[in-house]
Amino acid sequence: MASRTAHRTNKSKPARGNGFKAQRTGRGVARYYLLYEYLSGALNDGTIPAGGALPSEPELVTRYKLSRTTVRRALARLEEEGRIIRRRGSGTFARQNRKPVRLHLNLHDFFEDITTLAAQSTTSMLRFEMGAVPASVRELQPRLEAQALIIQRIHRAHGAPYALTTAYVPERIGRKIKKSSLNRTHLVTVIDQLGARSTKTEYTTSAVAADAIAAKRLDVSLGTPLLRTRAVLTDSHNQLHSVIESLCRPDRFSLRANYERNPNRNSSSRWRLKRS
Amino acid sequence: MTRATNAGIGVTRYLQVYTVLSQALAEGDIGAGEALPSEPSLVRQYGVSRTTVRRALARLAQERCIVRRRGSGTFARDRVVKTPNARQIAALFEDPRSIATNTTSRLIEFKHTPVPDFLHREWPEVGANVLTIRRVRYVDREPVVLVTAYIPEEIGRQLTARRLGNDTILWALDKLGIHATTTEQEASAVAADPFTARHLDLGVGAPTLNLRGLARDAHGRIICFANYLYRPDRYEIHTVVEREKSQRGRQALRL
Repeated sequence: MASRTAHRTNKSKPARGNGFKAQRTGRGVARYYLLYEYLSGALNDGTIPAGGALPSEPELVTRYKLSRTTVRRALARLEEEGRIIRRRGSGTFARQNRKPVRLHLNLHDFFEDITTLAAQSTTSMLRFEMGAVPASVRELQPRLEAQALIIQRIHRAHGAPYALTTAYVPERIGRKIKKSSLNRTHLVTVIDQLGARSTKTEYTTSAVAADAIAAKRLDVSLGTPLLRTRAVLTDSHNQLHSVIESLCRPDRFSLRANYERNPNRNSSSRWRLKRS
Repeated sequence: MTRATNAGIGVTRYLQVYTVLSQALAEGDIGAGEALPSEPSLVRQYGVSRTTVRRALARLAQERCIVRRRGSGTFARDRVVKTPNARQIAALFEDPRSIATNTTSRLIEFKHTPVPDFLHREWPEVGANVLTIRRVRYVDREPVVLVTAYIPEEIGRQLTARRLGNDTILWALDKLGIHATTTEQEASAVAADPFTARHLDLGVGAPTLNLRGLARDAHGRIICFANYLYRPDRYEIHTVVEREKSQRGRQALRL
């Protein structure tokens, strides 16, 4: 971090007392980000209430021993995010928190909700072809054969991309799927209509950093955290219907689930999904 | 000039490239012994300088994730699997008794505080004061999750750090006769801030799996709100949903 202090404008160079130097930050973290994080936290937890004034730029410079440029960068980002408002001559103030518009998938209503979500979304087809299933996907789902129908799409709501999905459908089912049938209809519904009803989904949720392709398609920076879900859909005979991997922007999409105590005390699990 | 990366998320470009490559290696997208793309192709793919690519590769080499052979390229090393994977750990977290015996925890904070603003805005019935509990849970001494829980004052007063011990919070409350009967959960992904990064032994800006859960008793009273930040290489959420008649799910509750 020492090299980053070289461009400071503050000539008096007081010892970095309780500034951000005190935090062990690891490599690769911009100094402005630490101030941004700090102020962001203060705005979130109400230390600086809506309408309240933030410390002035010179105050922040002195208090945290940062350059004016660094302070401005942190404030600029908060302003960009619509969380503060800067009034010339009078100062910087916290804005009322606006609730972002986010789509939700309720796992407890999975089969109903995916239909609704599909109807609300527009999609662009990136891939629709029989192709080789990547080894890392087959390792996870050995029931997938080497070849499958691969459907890759970008999903948008109100014009803004929120998910990049890649579906793998076994050839025997995939051959019957028409590309045009997927418009505003969920893949599961399309497969249902072929007479093969999916009755179960095993759902795995994780987080990943956006790689170059996801970053470009979802309009985020490389490395941005994304919510990743993998759904394995099967029928009542435990035959595989599809494996769908989704990479979702967490600011535009989240997963919800309601649980209740399992009345069956012998069950290995204490909780079960609660249907609404 | 367009750039695929962007320093806007507060981490430097080399760290973004490092994070993405190290994930591809860990997940087997680049299998053991396989070649990584060449430096020039990484430069093109990520829209960064050669120096940035080299710095990311140098760190991966230093961490023994890759091996660089002069003249022939850069290759993924055999993954030395010494710790259980995300699926195995998720199975350990299925049941509070299993959590108590198979994991350890470290208490960072156990303090009566005013209710945080976000909680008050969304659920004012929690009251003006809460017991705030913050701790890290480990499997094989490696951090898995950072939990921050808020418990309404009248319930929190009955709990002590000693009584909590290594139990999950809901399990500890159960023992006090306060039973959670429903929970509402929301999953998301967030970048590790410096505090989280330090406690989970991650780089700042690395992705974490975020779960927020609200637990209520039989009268609908809120007994706990908790925020979990999981290391995605150490934990994943598994849910089974069956259609119609017997639609039910299975998931461990991680409190």
